[in-house]
Parts: sequence; structure tokens; C-alpha cells
Amino acid sequence: MSGVSQLALLFIGAALINNILLTRFIGLCPFFGVSSNMETSIGMSLSVIFVMVMASTATWVVWEFILDPLGVGEFLYIPAFILIIASLVQFVEMYLRKASPVLYRAMGIYLPLITTNCAVLATATEAAKPGFFKMNIALGASLSLGEALVYTLGVSVGFGFALITFAALRERLELVPAPRLMKGTPIAFITAGLLSLSYLGMSGWFGL
Amino acid sequence: MSEWLRVFRRGIGIENPLTVLMIGLCATLAVSTQFQNALFMGFAVIFVLAMSNVLVSLFRRVIPSQVRIPIFIVVIASFVTIVDLVMKAFVPSIYSVLGIWIPLIVVNCMILGRAEAFAYHNKVGFAIADGLGMGIGFSTVIVLLAFVREILGTGKIVWFDSTLISLPAGFAPPSLFLLFPGAFLVFAFMIVGARWLNERLDARKEGPACRV
Repeated sequence: MSGVSQLALLFIGAALINNILLTRFIGLCPFFGVSSNMETSIGMSLSVIFVMVMASTATWVVWEFILDPLGVGEFLYIPAFILIIASLVQFVEMYLRKASPVLYRAMGIYLPLITTNCAVLATATEAAKPGFFKMNIALGASLSLGEALVYTLGVSVGFGFALITFAALRERLELVPAPRLMKGTPIAFITAGLLSLSYLGMSGWFGL
Repeated sequence: MSEWLRVFRRGIGIENPLTVLMIGLCATLAVSTQFQNALFMGFAVIFVLAMSNVLVSLFRRVIPSQVRIPIFIVVIASFVTIVDLVMKAFVPSIYSVLGIWIPLIVVNCMILGRAEAFAYHNKVGFAIADGLGMGIGFSTVIVLLAFVREILGTGKIVWFDSTLISLPAGFAPPSLFLLFPGAFLVFAFMIVGARWLNERLDARKEGPACRV
């Protein structure tokens, strides 16, 4: 894959058509956990974009230059990638606290939570060894670093978009006269189902 | 012993990880398209949860609390790798479907959450009870969810190439149940069911009136 239009397709495919939250069920914990408040959803989305891009860069480099050449990737990739992500997030948190207090206040509390977010692990693994998670059928056998970054950016922007949409919906749901047992999470799940149905309508666009 | 049973039962009922605590949802919704896959996912989770609870509990006095999270993750990742390779070797047909979700057990918040919230502070015996209880609670919900989705979505239940149950031929199965929205919808009704059941049980025991 090459060329600007290919990269744009890669981005749209990752962000909308194969939306990680609503069509792949990856990263649902923050989706239901923080979406009851608009402000926290925005903070969470920004942090996810930031961490995912850094994590994918790191796992891509490690896979390409260490794990794959040594031939140990098949059974070491799970511990290796999760450790890379965990330590990376820890370093980023420490660096931000020191270097940019404003940024730290905006996303500091979300950073530790993101460590154990399956969306980050899934995307970083997919960027390093494409096809494994079958998250985007248009992905080739292997991605260059640039393509991996565009892909990751697409996934994380799609994550943020879905999260913020859902947060806006949930703020309205607070006022809905639902049956007593349905109040809160069950009705939120039904809303998520309908939202996911609308994302499903996009499957097949541009042959993605 | 009664204390052990109480800890064990809690995971299945009033503190069910899926319907009450709502943790570990991703894998549940994604894997529950087929009864058979859900059953194997349940076994994998029970194994990883019980074993990681035991190991964390055994070493709870040695693990320094500052670096406990990375240590938990490494412990969990090792057991997940075991499950990953065993399934790949012995049930390849299941593995090809579950494939992506087995490594993701590592970051399943339920397992890390139990290590952090329970196993790190309790004796080995209780840690086993908690791991088994939570694991069985998880598996029950995921298997039920998969049962409903498969029978409504395809009209039959399949177990390794043989059909166990099939609905009458006149039934036109809506494939919506197999797709992503169906998972959300069926799961929403399962939460309602679990809430109703918990309320009924509470009322019978004359405990607190409403736990929701």
C-alpha cells in the first residue's frame, strides 16, 4: 500500500468502518466506565490517542528489530508488548508530571487506567503484526512505520469519536423515563446496541 | 468452610463480575456468538483466574506494593501464554475463532482486578475460592449469552460439527443476534434479569431491600 489516498482509506477504515469500540468490542470497559460524563470522556479520548500512537511506535520497533529477527515473537509477544506498554505509560506519566503540569492535569488520571486497556494492546499488536486481530481486512501482510502510525491514529480517533458520541447520548439518557430495572446500565447497553447498528451500516464502504 | 463457600458463592451471585460489577465485558460480548466457543473461553478464564489468584496470594508478602501491578501482569501473562499454546495445540478449530481473545485475557480487567482487590490481601484458600467463584460466574453468564445468541441467530446449537438442538424449520433466524448490536441488546436484558433475581433473593432473605 502506498500513496496518500491509500493512507486516507486506511485511516477511514480504522476510524469508522472498523470502529474498534462498536464493531470489534475492544476497549469496552472505559466505554461504559467513563462515558457518563462529557468532560472525562474528552480527557480519556485524548489520552488514548496519545498513548496508542506511542505504544504502537514502540511495539512496531521492538517487533521489527528484536522479536521477529530473533524468532521468539510467537510465544513472547504477549508479555513483551504488555510490558512495553505498561512501562511506557509509566514513563510518560512521570515525564508529563515534570515537564507539562497542564497536560498532566488534563490526562494524568487516565494514564494508569489505559495501561490495562485492551484497545491499546490490540492496536499496538495489530500495528506490529497486522492481520492477527483481523481488525482491518484491508491491512497488508506488514505495515511500514508510517502506515502503522496512520492506522493507529485512525483507530484511536475512532475510539474517541465513538466515546464522545456515546457520552452525549448518555447525558440525555439520564432523563429518560425507563422502567426501574432498566435504569442505568441496561438502557445504556441498548443505546450502545443501536449506535453499533448504525456503525454496521458503514461496513463494506470502499470495499473495506 | 462456610466462609470459603461464602467467598466462592459471591462471584457467582451478588458480585458477579459481568452482570453486577460490569468488568471484563469486551471478551464476553465478542466471544459469545457460539455456545461451544463461549464454553472454552469460560474454561480458559477460570484457569487463568484461579491460577493467577493462587500465585499472587502465595507471594503476597514478597511482592512490594510499589511494583505490584507489573508483577501481576507478568504472572497473568504467563498463564495466558500457557492457555494460548495449549489451545492452539489441542483444539485448533476453537483457537482459530477465539484466537484474538485469548491473548487479550491478559488485559481483562476482571483478572487484574481480582488479583489486586482480593488475592493480594487474602490467604491462598480464599484466593482459590474467589478465583473459582468469579471464573464460574463469568462463564455462566458468557455461556448463557452465547446460548441465546446462537439459538436465536442461527436457529440451532452446534457442538463440533454435530447439531445439538435445532428450532423448528419455520423459524427464520434474525442474524442480527450474531452481529455486534445483538450482543449489546441480549446482554442488556441479561443485566435486567440478574438485577431482578438479586432483588428477589434479597427480598426472600429479608436483607437490604434493593441492592441495585
